[in-house]
Amino acid sequence: MLELQNINHLALIGSLLQQMCVYLVIAYMLSKTPLFAPLMQVTVRLPDKLVCYLVFSAFCIMGTYLGFQIEGAIANTRAIGAVLGGILGGPVVGLAVGLTGGLHRYSLGGYTDTACAVSTTVEGLIGGYLHLFLLKRHRADRLLSPLIALGATLFAEISQMAIILLLARPFDDATRLVAHIALPMIVTNSVGAALFMRLILDRRETLEKYSIAFSAKALRIAERSVGVLLQGFNEHNCTRLAQIVREETGVGAVAITDCEKLLGFVGIGADHHLPGTPISSPHTFYAIAHNEVVYADGATIAYQCSVSKDCKLGSSLVIPLRGEGNRVFGTIKLYEPKSKFFSSLNRTLGEGIARLLSNQVLAGTIEEQKRLLVQAEIKLLQAQINPHFLFNALNTLAAIIRRDPEAARSIVQYLSTFFRKSLKRVSDESTLKDEIEHVDAYLRIELARFAGRLDVEFAVADDLLHLRLPTFSLQPIVENAIKYGISQMLEPGKITISAERQGDGLTIVIEDSAGLYKPKPDGDGLGMNLVDRRIKIRYGAAYGIDVTCQPERWTRVTIRVPVEEELVAC
Amino acid sequence: MLSALIIDDEAPSREELKALLATAPDVEIVGECSNAVEGLSAIHRLRPDVVFLDIQMPRVSGLEMVSMIEPSALPHIVFVTAYDEHALKAFEEHAADYLLKPIDPQRLEKTLDWLRAGKRPAATAFPGADSPLRQIPCITRNRIVLIALEDVEYVNTDVCGVQVVAMNKQGVTELTLKILQERTALVHCHRQYLINLAQIAEIELLDNGAAEIVTQSGKRVPVSRRYLREIKDKLLIS
Repeated sequence: MLELQNINHLALIGSLLQQMCVYLVIAYMLSKTPLFAPLMQVTVRLPDKLVCYLVFSAFCIMGTYLGFQIEGAIANTRAIGAVLGGILGGPVVGLAVGLTGGLHRYSLGGYTDTACAVSTTVEGLIGGYLHLFLLKRHRADRLLSPLIALGATLFAEISQMAIILLLARPFDDATRLVAHIALPMIVTNSVGAALFMRLILDRRETLEKYSIAFSAKALRIAERSVGVLLQGFNEHNCTRLAQIVREETGVGAVAITDCEKLLGFVGIGADHHLPGTPISSPHTFYAIAHNEVVYADGATIAYQCSVSKDCKLGSSLVIPLRGEGNRVFGTIKLYEPKSKFFSSLNRTLGEGIARLLSNQVLAGTIEEQKRLLVQAEIKLLQAQINPHFLFNALNTLAAIIRRDPEAARSIVQYLSTFFRKSLKRVSDESTLKDEIEHVDAYLRIELARFAGRLDVEFAVADDLLHLRLPTFSLQPIVENAIKYGISQMLEPGKITISAERQGDGLTIVIEDSAGLYKPKPDGDGLGMNLVDRRIKIRYGAAYGIDVTCQPERWTRVTIRVPVEEELVAC
Repeated sequence: MLSALIIDDEAPSREELKALLATAPDVEIVGECSNAVEGLSAIHRLRPDVVFLDIQMPRVSGLEMVSMIEPSALPHIVFVTAYDEHALKAFEEHAADYLLKPIDPQRLEKTLDWLRAGKRPAATAFPGADSPLRQIPCITRNRIVLIALEDVEYVNTDVCGVQVVAMNKQGVTELTLKILQERTALVHCHRQYLINLAQIAEIELLDNGAAEIVTQSGKRVPVSRRYLREIKDKLLIS
């Protein structure tokens, strides 16, 4: 026990500051634990409040124990816990922390026990009131301000001294005590509270920086990998993707597998982890079978490469890739070498990447299905038009054979050209020349069939003939013009096909002189809708088909596609 | 002798059928038409024994044409089509006579044999024979016009034939008042007049118990006492 005469203020401040250092070191270590998370933001959740109460009550009690006795009183840093508990947790938490700390102090006895118990409770309330005040002023951001913590604790400590003077008896002892400990305790507690708050703030900033870096990393991977898997979940694309993920995460190696074999591997150990080989790692089997993330960190869960004993890889994180209906269709694996001391494998980032890849594969599947659907529809279209056209053509042919075998011969030629072009073209794109030849063969037959009722005019410049457009774009439109236009006219009619280049677009106009176009919701207009959809899927909404009609005069169908200049060998 | 009429919009098609029929010594081709409207008038004018009728024709299909003819005036109809799944199904159901293009000469001979034997199906057996009309084919100034039924204000008979009057066009049709009354929503307002109720603007009651209808475009149509009651009932006027 120190004799009052022997202590001077500076020495007391020094001792108390030392004591606070221990206090703050403990606080620092605690800040590394998840216990600190609820303290870093204003929350109304009961569990968070409870954590807040427990942590600060502990600090309060610790402040008492770390203090030292002066004539039956204790010079201490208890106030920090009470005030900060109030500021961060609100009046209820403040009161609870103050009361807990106060009752604990009371249990230790001494002539200031009652005064200390009351004052600690009041200190908690002061913090709590400040909390309310700032929230009401919509200044919740100031709750974590070290300066405010300093001010609040300063005020709280002054109040404590006043309460000691009021309640502690004998009054003379109390006066003497206050005279000695007031300054050291006010200074130490205020500074301590500010430093404590700074600690919380620092911790928060670190976390924010970490999560910003984390998001940036994820975003960069997302950006670089866009479209890679759209073309299919295969070895080539998976290797490219593994490369991107490795560059961005900086892990030792990255592997992507489907459910049976390795599709892509980049990084350490690439010499024996060969794409195309079957999966052999038990962790991967487990991840696929149980649809679970497996983290073999090399310490708690052992990791040994299943391919080669000399493999330098020492830990692995296996995350399943999930497709439709959450079904596993593969895995992505991140590895670190044995030599690396601090692993940068991060489960959350890994899961994020896996989700990203899964979505891309899903999008690719949908794209593929769309393509297949359109292809199937073209087949349907081809099958659908043929019988009607075919039998009418054959009937026309039957008549012409009788009258003019030579003309019939050329009709047969056109017919075979038409069918060859409609049936055999498998490529997705063809030149305008191809399309026009297709239409020409078709129209030659229709000219014979409608004998005198149909007139055809082509106005397409030769220098446009090499331009490309989706196969089978022209014929269905011309067929519509015959079927719903010319063939419904009581008088002779005309079809005009013209093409024009407008900037970076090719415009083809098919006009009939019937003017009988009526928009159909579906069904009969299948051919035109399909052509329009195919162009839009391929080139975007700015392109496609547009129909205008002047009733009883003309119908004009305009096809617009972008010009994609091909490098033609000269 | 069988008199035959060919109605087909495709010239080569008519040509082929003519060539095939030419081999039958007892068939005389009395006419050929390139659309259903001309065909209608040719049927009324020529009264053929048999009509070879294409189905797909401009504006008025073969099936629609059949529904425009009074069953009593209907000759034997042989439908001719290249490919029409719906029509074929209907023909099968109604046991109607039909030929497929290109026409098989032996199949044609079978049809001619039936005709020579005097077998002809009942008129109602034709698919679509009693379906409602959508439009009325008319001739004005040597042109064929099709007047949509909803545009028709009234129809009347006079010395020139059956007049169809719409807001801004009118013409003479081959269709009879009887067919029009049966197959459309037009109603008699007078023995010689059919009125489109939707086109009535007002009804002026006259002293003698008759009335006059004023149409949407201001034309006046007589209403006889006999039909006034029915018109009032239909319009829910008591």
